[in-house]
Amino acid sequence: MLATVAQAVVNGLLIGGIYALVSIGVTLIFGVVKIVNFAQGEFVMIGMYISYFLAASFDVDPLVSLVVSMPVLFVIGVLFQHFLIRRVLGLGDMPQIFLTFAISLLLVNVALLLFTANYRTVQTPYSETAIHLGALYIPMAKLIAFAVAMALSGVLWAFLHATDLGKAMRAAAQNPDVAMLMGINPDRVFCVAVGIALALAGAAGSLLMPFYPAYPLVGQVFVLMAFVAVVLGTLGNVTGALIASLMMGVAESLGIQFVGADSGLIVVFAMLLLTLAVRPNGLFGGWNR
Amino acid sequence: MRGLVSRGGFWVAVLAVAALALPLFVSSSFTFDICIRVLLFAFVGVAWNLMGGYAKQLSLGHAAYFGLGAYTSTILLIRFGVSPWIGMLAGGVVAMLASLPIGALCFRLRGPYFAIATIATAQVLMLLFLKFRDFAWGAEGTTMPNLGDAPLMMQFEGKAPYYYVVLALLAIGLIITYRIERSWMGYYLVAVGEDEDAAEAIGVDALRIKRNIYLISAFLTALAGTFYVQYIYFIDPNTAFSFNVSVEAALVSIVGGIGTLWGPVVGTVLLEATSALLQSWLGGGHGGVQLTVYSLILIAVILCRPAGLIGLATDIYARVVRSGPPPAKEVPLDG
Repeated sequence: MLATVAQAVVNGLLIGGIYALVSIGVTLIFGVVKIVNFAQGEFVMIGMYISYFLAASFDVDPLVSLVVSMPVLFVIGVLFQHFLIRRVLGLGDMPQIFLTFAISLLLVNVALLLFTANYRTVQTPYSETAIHLGALYIPMAKLIAFAVAMALSGVLWAFLHATDLGKAMRAAAQNPDVAMLMGINPDRVFCVAVGIALALAGAAGSLLMPFYPAYPLVGQVFVLMAFVAVVLGTLGNVTGALIASLMMGVAESLGIQFVGADSGLIVVFAMLLLTLAVRPNGLFGGWNR
Repeated sequence: MRGLVSRGGFWVAVLAVAALALPLFVSSSFTFDICIRVLLFAFVGVAWNLMGGYAKQLSLGHAAYFGLGAYTSTILLIRFGVSPWIGMLAGGVVAMLASLPIGALCFRLRGPYFAIATIATAQVLMLLFLKFRDFAWGAEGTTMPNLGDAPLMMQFEGKAPYYYVVLALLAIGLIITYRIERSWMGYYLVAVGEDEDAAEAIGVDALRIKRNIYLISAFLTALAGTFYVQYIYFIDPNTAFSFNVSVEAALVSIVGGIGTLWGPVVGTVLLEATSALLQSWLGGGHGGVQLTVYSLILIAVILCRPAGLIGLATDIYARVVRSGPPPAKEVPLDG
């Protein structure tokens, strides 16, 4: 029994690392640009397809293709912010929600047209290997993904706290008007924030590829998790999103283990609704943010 | 496009006669199918628009009520032999009851948080119905018993009766919207939609208003759910609680004109006509084309004309009538 629980917790933590990359992106965009990006999952999908095609055509290991997917997604993010999101800032909820929502629909369906609905997988030397720690079974690919995800989160944290641009970003998140008075160019900061958020989504995609199939709708799995984690962790709070993502992973995994294979999401959504009922601003937030 | 009165009233009458007479000129069941889809989704859009359009509570979870309506009538029909006409109303009541706790949770949230929470509630309901194998047939779903031509059981021969049923639903939805739009409630709704805090400050009980409109919106959406599964003779959780229903309800309203009486109708006609044209040009087997085009239209509307397409005709009309031909430089598409 204890071993089963421990195994479920480990599985949950490992996948929670990937959820963290997606939800940190969502929360970063929300914190800085004040937009909920409904298309974040689709950028994970794009990252997966980049890694898939690099692996299928040039035999590039998905982990190596991280150095392609992250910069590509960063550029897409800058363009996304500059040409689309910027035009609906300050226009109220409807355009803000439905613009990114429409982008998400568009990307899913274009992927469906270009790549069909087929599942695509990549086999790597470490796809099948695992570490045995006592009774625990730790798949190598997931462990690597988790480690890289945590490292990237750490780098982002350091960036936000130790560099001028990162501090400018946090300043713009706290109070855009005052930040502007301090000489911070909000357009530039917004572009970089969205770029980083999308680069993280791309990283999540590449990291998933060794153990998860790519298909056009794959992003929805991750974006739903990310939304829950982001709300739980208080919108706009990066550390909160990270902790909440790991919790979500564990909750989902325990749900699958003890309620039934198709119940992971029920547990997750139940957690979301419960949180909203009890603490609408998330676990890590004050009441007014 | 101000409503049903005076000059508007004339055009509404013309439209109504045309809609009533349409089956006389339509014979192919493909065309009928498109007409029925248009009316059905226009109706769902009208139901969504009451809440999403006037009160600006942007729900992405109306599939919850669509599905509850569908399941209530189907369970009553198959398990207890109750006519779907009664089941339809029962479904509406179930949806209203469900909207109370869902609303109590979700209305604590605003804007994007609200949208996310509504997605979650619809998903939870779908997942629950996937688990209810004993009385709701689980993931396999079930087909409706074929009773032949049984109008009392909402089963008809041919498509024309279905057309009239859904036309009647749409008419009811529009009349309700029209009445609400012109009542104190309509003004309160718009006030809450414009600025909830300001509305509260002048004494509008925002929570109560939102709860009441949610009840009406949920009730109407559930009627559509019952009609839909009766029409396609099949139900399963993925059909009844389909995320696409939630999306389409919001989409047609936004494209047509959010918070306007005729917006959802205009939006549905436009989107469904586009999709029918695409289908006849490309044939089947191009998964994704339809929604690709929908999303491009949606993006164009949001960026160029967030008020929706409904005012387009009247804008052009006004320009032509009041000030002669529009100046060459101005493009009418620019909101």
